[in-house]
Amino acid sequence: MTPPAASAVHRDPLAETPLILGHPSDLQVNDALLKPILDPNRGWKVLAGLAAAGTGLLVLGITVTLARGIGMWGNNQPVGWGYGIINFVWWIGIGHAGTLISAILLLFQQKWRTSINRFAEAMTIFAVMQAGLFPLIHTGRPWLAIYWLFPYPNTMGIWPNFKSPLIWDVFAVSTYFTISLLFWFIGLIPDLAALRDSATSRVQRMAYGVFALGWRGSARHWHHYKIAYLILAALSTPLVLSVHSIVSFDFAVSQLPGWHTTIFPPYFVAGAVLSGFAMVLTLMIPTRKAFRFENLVTERHLENMAKVMLVTSMIVSYGYLLENFMAWYGGSAYEAHLFFKTRLTGPYAPIYFMMIAFNVLVPQTFWWKRARTSLTWLFIASILVNVGMWAERFVIIVVSLHRDFLPSSWGMFFPTWVDWSIYIGTISFFSLLFLLFLRFVPSVAISEVKELNHEMRHGQAGTGGHA
Amino acid sequence: MPSMKTLPILQDHGQPQRLSGKPGQRSLWQSIQELEGRSSGRAGEFAAGAAEVPPELSRRSFLQILGASAALAGLGACQPPREKIVPYVKDPKEDRPGKRFHYATALALDGYATGLVLAASDGRPVKVEGNPLHPTNQGASSAWDQAALLDLYDPQRAKGIWRRGQPLSWRGFLAEVQKLARAHDADGGAKLAFLVAPDASPLLAELRRRLSTRFPRARFLAWAPATADHAAEGARIAFGRPVDMHLRLDPARVLLSLDADFLAGHGESLRLTREFARHREPGAEMNRLYVAEAAMTVTGAAADHRLRMRPSEVAGFARAVAAHLGALPGAEALEDPARDRAARVVAADLARNRGRSVVTAGERQPAAVHALAHAMNAALGNVGTTVVYTKPVLGDATPTAAALAELAKAIQAGQVDTLVVTAWNPVYAAPAGLDLGALLAKVPNAIYHSLRDDETSRRCSWRVAASHPFESWGDARARDGSVSLVQPVIAPLYESVNAADLFAAFLEQGDKGAFQHLRDYWQARSGLQGQAFQARWEGWLTRGLVPGTAEPADGPALNAAAVAAAARSPAPKGEGLELALAPSYGVFDGRFATNAWLQELPDPITKVTWDNPAYLSEATARRLGLADGQVATLTLQGRSVQAPVAVMPGHADDCVTLALGYGRSDGSATSKGVGVDAYELRTAPDAWFAVGLGVAPGKGKHKFAVTQGHLSMEGRPLALDFDAQEWAHGHGGHELEAQRGPVPSAQPPVDYSKEDYKWGMSVDLSRCTGCNACVVACQEENNIPVVGAEQVAKGRNMAWLRIDRYFAGPAADPQTVGQPVMCQHCETAPCEYVCPVNATVHSPEGLNEMVYNRCVGTRYCSNNCPYKVRRFNFLDWRGEVPAVQTMLFNPDVTVRSRGVMEKCTYCVQRIERARIDARVAGKKIEFVQSACQQACPAEAIVFGNLNDKASKVARLQEDARRYDLLHDLGTRPRTTYLARIRNPNPDLA
Repeated sequence: MTPPAASAVHRDPLAETPLILGHPSDLQVNDALLKPILDPNRGWKVLAGLAAAGTGLLVLGITVTLARGIGMWGNNQPVGWGYGIINFVWWIGIGHAGTLISAILLLFQQKWRTSINRFAEAMTIFAVMQAGLFPLIHTGRPWLAIYWLFPYPNTMGIWPNFKSPLIWDVFAVSTYFTISLLFWFIGLIPDLAALRDSATSRVQRMAYGVFALGWRGSARHWHHYKIAYLILAALSTPLVLSVHSIVSFDFAVSQLPGWHTTIFPPYFVAGAVLSGFAMVLTLMIPTRKAFRFENLVTERHLENMAKVMLVTSMIVSYGYLLENFMAWYGGSAYEAHLFFKTRLTGPYAPIYFMMIAFNVLVPQTFWWKRARTSLTWLFIASILVNVGMWAERFVIIVVSLHRDFLPSSWGMFFPTWVDWSIYIGTISFFSLLFLLFLRFVPSVAISEVKELNHEMRHGQAGTGGHA
Repeated sequence: MPSMKTLPILQDHGQPQRLSGKPGQRSLWQSIQELEGRSSGRAGEFAAGAAEVPPELSRRSFLQILGASAALAGLGACQPPREKIVPYVKDPKEDRPGKRFHYATALALDGYATGLVLAASDGRPVKVEGNPLHPTNQGASSAWDQAALLDLYDPQRAKGIWRRGQPLSWRGFLAEVQKLARAHDADGGAKLAFLVAPDASPLLAELRRRLSTRFPRARFLAWAPATADHAAEGARIAFGRPVDMHLRLDPARVLLSLDADFLAGHGESLRLTREFARHREPGAEMNRLYVAEAAMTVTGAAADHRLRMRPSEVAGFARAVAAHLGALPGAEALEDPARDRAARVVAADLARNRGRSVVTAGERQPAAVHALAHAMNAALGNVGTTVVYTKPVLGDATPTAAALAELAKAIQAGQVDTLVVTAWNPVYAAPAGLDLGALLAKVPNAIYHSLRDDETSRRCSWRVAASHPFESWGDARARDGSVSLVQPVIAPLYESVNAADLFAAFLEQGDKGAFQHLRDYWQARSGLQGQAFQARWEGWLTRGLVPGTAEPADGPALNAAAVAAAARSPAPKGEGLELALAPSYGVFDGRFATNAWLQELPDPITKVTWDNPAYLSEATARRLGLADGQVATLTLQGRSVQAPVAVMPGHADDCVTLALGYGRSDGSATSKGVGVDAYELRTAPDAWFAVGLGVAPGKGKHKFAVTQGHLSMEGRPLALDFDAQEWAHGHGGHELEAQRGPVPSAQPPVDYSKEDYKWGMSVDLSRCTGCNACVVACQEENNIPVVGAEQVAKGRNMAWLRIDRYFAGPAADPQTVGQPVMCQHCETAPCEYVCPVNATVHSPEGLNEMVYNRCVGTRYCSNNCPYKVRRFNFLDWRGEVPAVQTMLFNPDVTVRSRGVMEKCTYCVQRIERARIDARVAGKKIEFVQSACQQACPAEAIVFGNLNDKASKVARLQEDARRYDLLHDLGTRPRTTYLARIRNPNPDLA
């Protein structure tokens, strides 16, 4: 499909860009969105090969960790948590955009979500999968942690400690993953049926047929489908807020300066959304180009995401500001020392300033439309924000731990090769999963795009709600 | 031995008669099998008395002897003769698996003994304790005493007897020695020499006496690396003959130490620490300590005034003080006005406390300083009150610095054919320039008797493995002369020889056995026979002390003119810096370099482990352009070593201090290549300090494995200290009010008042000297692993009990305070509520307990612990434990696996043991000590039941000096601290 680009150029500059360009027919939409699956690009294999090799690093890192112990990481006394928990929080944060885009924007009837929700949900699931690895492998004895963290009736008569935020984490993350997966899968069903119907080989037909769960597109099917989808959206919505709030409790509930902060839940959620949208942009911009989805994932989508990033970045900035204010106002010498001395002048100060630059200053450029619509800048900014969000978790975890109450116990944290290989390994594993997703599943919700297309053509949705 | 009757055992050679203890008295030793109760099956084979040989030989007995002789004939070849160990026929009632037995014994370091009690479980010693009845340590023990247990079970100990690479049986060895001895008979032993370690053992002295009777021309030399004859020489100047000087610190109010580290090191430091610490509480009885020294020592850190100066300047300072005291004619003003004023003030303070003051000179100071100290004490009227003189205890085995040179000369002159070395590692520790290794190789029969194969054993033609003191019979004397019998608690783990057996071999009595020698000697000395002696003997063994053996006070007359003449000797002059050498607090002179506990023991001042940095002051480092950790070349008299430097707060300027005992080229992996060999720079005349050191900055950078990288308190109220005067005026009390008392908490407080026990601890910072005894005691008691330098540098040291060291004031001359920190057992513990699996929970008696089995290792508890006392098993620290080392483990304490968090338990196993005993007796627990408390020579750590208002710990928690660490966090710690009080002289402010 070659979109008639001319029509997009000559338009009223004040009018919003339509969400789908060029009024394609259903067949054109179908062809465009199924093409990557039915007629794959050669570049995919190269990328998938790279990602698989990187995933090997993850396997290596985890094997070494299980065989030798956490001592293969840089963790020590006093820095009991290092890359493991940083990466956990980082990935969980990234995993926020999907549900937010799918569920909350659906409930608020933000039509522009349609072209990107599938994408974002997949990203969420894969990100949560990466995150889920860490709480397990970071424990000293994962072979016991894997089941002792769950409340199950046992002959020992011991339950987990329900006072511990780590237990809440287990519930929050596992619930979030389950709901996200279901939500994503339910949304996929009509598209899987479309794939089944368009598939050329028997194997594909069988495979997609199984997952399509016998979808035939009858009105009854659509009726149930819509209700199920809406219910799941309603269920996921509070999870968007709860998951990262609970992750933040891991820190807020403790008494360590830099952790013991009541602003953490909202500030973590905002940070999560910020990093989630940044990651969607990081992935969307190249995919959109490679798959020629420009008329379905338009500049307006990207611009809207930049706006969300601007807003959440400002919430995060407020969090930073309030933390510092409370450190001063609270009058605790230990907290003041951490905020005004250790963070600003300590050995990890560059990481702190990197966090400020990338999370506070970089998104400020999104006040300008040029910044919001420049693909290059959006791509760079999205990566910077993700680096910044990783730095934020480093500042919270390592910097707070490395100099706490008794100066006698102060120490430094240096990551080891295992730390790095696990981190790079999860990025690779994430990429691999994402590439598989792009290759085997429609990355844009075909049925929803068609629906929107029809709505637009019949003037119901107009420009598709407010962004 | 309860079940043993006195058995007339076959009088074959190698099977000496063994007299046993009375029933019910376990003063003698048993085999492992006996104590583990494994022997019961075999022992039950014969009925009681069946093995006895009747007076007249029956057919049955004849066959028995015939069979036994045939069976035993070969046995003598594989093992040195041991006193016959007879298994129990029936297990005594009180001996159950897991039951602890305690045996009194003693351990000598460079000749001076500490009285010990070894706790044995299932036939193996598992814990070293001080003997409370012993006058020199009064129940305390040092880090070295504690760590001796690790040496015992070291799988890398020397084993067997080797001659030129060929193994010898004990019997073969005896035969060979007999041949040697007879060959030396001809010329009266002119070509026979003995190089012995310093010792005060009456038995060894007797054997040496008999040896010198047989070989009148034999040479007997005593030598040890860390001793010099300065003190003896000083006494000779002052009194015309050598005497031992003993301090009595109980009555002392003002103490001046001239480079004497009397609160640490060997000799009487445990008793001195106890007496010193007793008078560190505010009040009229509080003492005041002045220390003149270069590198900060344990004693210097405890001082009220630390006068930092180079070692060569101490003599001048001593002269000035002596002159002000009138002990030396002709007062000379010191160049440095501040120091001159200090000398004047110190002298005035000493003079105000006549008869209640002490001046002591350090071993490293030259004889003149010792003589001056004697003169000052005499002038102050301290003799008889705070200073007591006795005849030297070491006697003929008094080490001399010249011993090695004399030996070298004799070897070079070809006057030594047979050399017996029982001194520790002379090849490694010999003064630089004396190539003893090459010389020893020239001696046809150099017999080296040592616990380990080391630099010296490689050069000697004979290697004889020494038995560990915990495996041997013997005796030893403390510095005050008190004799302790040394009894074995375990059969030798390896084929090895006792020093007494070795000497006896030259008397052709090697097969008599050390036990018999010892008993015969003491029987002869007691003049008693039969049962009377037996009863006394058992009393000595049980108490670990032979009463009435302390040396009586001596009253030597001071030769003031000689002192004045000696004091005029000029201070050493020379270009360049000054090099000061010191024994290490961990490895001592190097003999403990193979002991991983001591290698990993942080230096009390700088917290460096596994290393001996070249310490210097900040100003000197800056002047030389050296950064911390930078490798520098130290050159002295043409010899040089490469050593990484470290800035030590309070170090004297223009001086470099290097600890001895590191940089071993041989030994085990624990010692090899760790640190720098300071002996390379050590010469015989300048054994402890020398002027003319060149320091050239090098390129390399070295990372020290320190357990504490930050030495400032950052203005936080952590280790609190006050001056006695401000304390007396009520200042400080107000500050402490803010550090104790109730704090609002979200966690509702638990009422412990209804419990029988509410365990708590009190740590007195005023008493604590930071000597590290508690740290090793804790490690031994609680099966705490060592992790190695690399892991310590990564911040993974496993010590449950650490001593934090903080400095305050100017870096050049700071004040310092040490603070032992272990789990505080918070009533509202931050670690507990964050553990997801309930692996750390509170006991009804208020202990914060760690459930190792349940721990999955999230490390959340450690993150949330404000005291950072939790330790995580990041790796499998032990790996495959050699079988012999598994015997080291305290069977009452779980050996933790990888991935598990651990921490101080308040020695819960001791509480439970006491509870069991109390329940059996139908009483409440009356006495329980934590391991750290038991070892502490300063009585700084007190543990007990807070619900017992009469207990010491309950009283101390009401003390005016009491405060809680990080009180405002509301953790309600059960461990509380007593603030340190300093007693500075207002005239020297």
